[in-house]
Amino acid sequence: MGQIIMHIDVNSAFLSWTAAYEKQMGIDRDIRTVPSVIGGNEQSRHGIVLAKSTTAKKFKIQTGMSLMEARQLCPNLLVVPPNYRVYVRASKAMREYLMSFTPDVQVFSIDECFLRFTDLKREEAVELAYKIKDTIKEKFGYTVNVGISDNKLLAKQAGDLEKPDKCHTMFPDEIKEKLWVLPVEDLFMVGRRTKPKLNRWGIYTIGELANSDYYLISTQLKSHGRMIYNYAWGRDCSTFKTGEPIKSVGNSSTLKFNVCDHETAHVMLLSLTEMTAWRLREANMNCRVVSVGIKDKDFGYAAKQRKLDFFTDCTRDIYINICILFDELWDGKPIRQLGVHVSDLESSNIKQINIFQDELSKKNEILDKAVDKIRSKFGDESVIRGVFANTELSPLLGGYPDDEYPGMSSIL
Amino acid sequence: MKILNEPIKVMAIFNLDGKIEPVKFRLEDKVVRIEKIMKIYEENIVGNKRMIFVCLHKGKDIYELKYELDSKTWYLFKK
Repeated sequence: MGQIIMHIDVNSAFLSWTAAYEKQMGIDRDIRTVPSVIGGNEQSRHGIVLAKSTTAKKFKIQTGMSLMEARQLCPNLLVVPPNYRVYVRASKAMREYLMSFTPDVQVFSIDECFLRFTDLKREEAVELAYKIKDTIKEKFGYTVNVGISDNKLLAKQAGDLEKPDKCHTMFPDEIKEKLWVLPVEDLFMVGRRTKPKLNRWGIYTIGELANSDYYLISTQLKSHGRMIYNYAWGRDCSTFKTGEPIKSVGNSSTLKFNVCDHETAHVMLLSLTEMTAWRLREANMNCRVVSVGIKDKDFGYAAKQRKLDFFTDCTRDIYINICILFDELWDGKPIRQLGVHVSDLESSNIKQINIFQDELSKKNEILDKAVDKIRSKFGDESVIRGVFANTELSPLLGGYPDDEYPGMSSIL
Repeated sequence: MKILNEPIKVMAIFNLDGKIEPVKFRLEDKVVRIEKIMKIYEENIVGNKRMIFVCLHKGKDIYELKYELDSKTWYLFKK
């Protein structure tokens, strides 16, 4: 009797949550039964498909596609705007419910969780998985897929087998029948860039990858190749992470228009830094590494980071360093998206005194705390920086925290 | 029965044991007195907790009131 890992995945999460919420609000429609997508606002250029209904899937609409492309595939497509407040609440409620079964819950993303059980037989695990799936449906009003195995990778692969509202197992002795027959792009971490490379070597299924020449994969695809080769054999040595303290804070935003000059870009960076530094202080943390990310109009992405000589949570200090990084990194191409992240965090309860800190920085730290208090009492935009006055620009950018729920990552 | 889901003004008793008991509510400038609460239950759709009160008025009209815990707002859900 080894450990059992379950992977809980909400079926088309944003769409199911919106549909269930609309039903609760008495809106007389079910967006799950018509071709519909959850998509951002096209005017402010957030126009991509975030989630799709199963009927929309029949029109070959994919997540991440632009809304215009999606409309070309299906002219009567219903586009529903996202409501992150509902999603965060739904995600928290699900996590709390799952905690009632086991304290070992790892949040993998906003709609995915791993559960670990250490004293459970296979048959009992399947029984429990069905119970979890059915109670979530009854209690919260949406469907989930449950994947069962003895490591996280296989549990995740099992959850992806057939959707929606299903439970699947994929134990190591079932790999041959269940995993190896799948096309290679269905394997975790094999994306649209790796697929053509593997196809070129005649690898089309996961089984073919598992039985291919390890040295070919290893020399051509380096560490990523070794990882997917092991994944094809269902080997995953990742540890189970529960309730870890935050490792980084950051915000990014797609801008309403392409930015072509330094001044505007700096202003945008300031509004992102304001938000990030505020969240950093809320978390009672100081940072030592700051980084900036730029996505240009052709979706090319570049990022740069630097380590500071001191720990800080001061908006001004972070902003100055962000601007230096930005000026070093930016090649002059029109910018579509900007991001500010801080990492290497340390609790601000104990702080090393920095002898190089200037007077202005010390004063700014006190000012930041005062501003935070005013904002928490009178609203986010009660005090804003002068550069944002009488402009269309938002003084605080980046609403939905992009690190609280990490996106897809290679780290299971 | 029609679904409305409109926010309404409600007068209610919050009992010592934590039980909530709506007494009357305002609907289009009329006051509707609740004679009898037929059923109380809770829902937790997508994590949004609401208490549902199925109420009887004048022995024949049925009203469904919902109290949303997060926003502390009363809704007339069905009438």
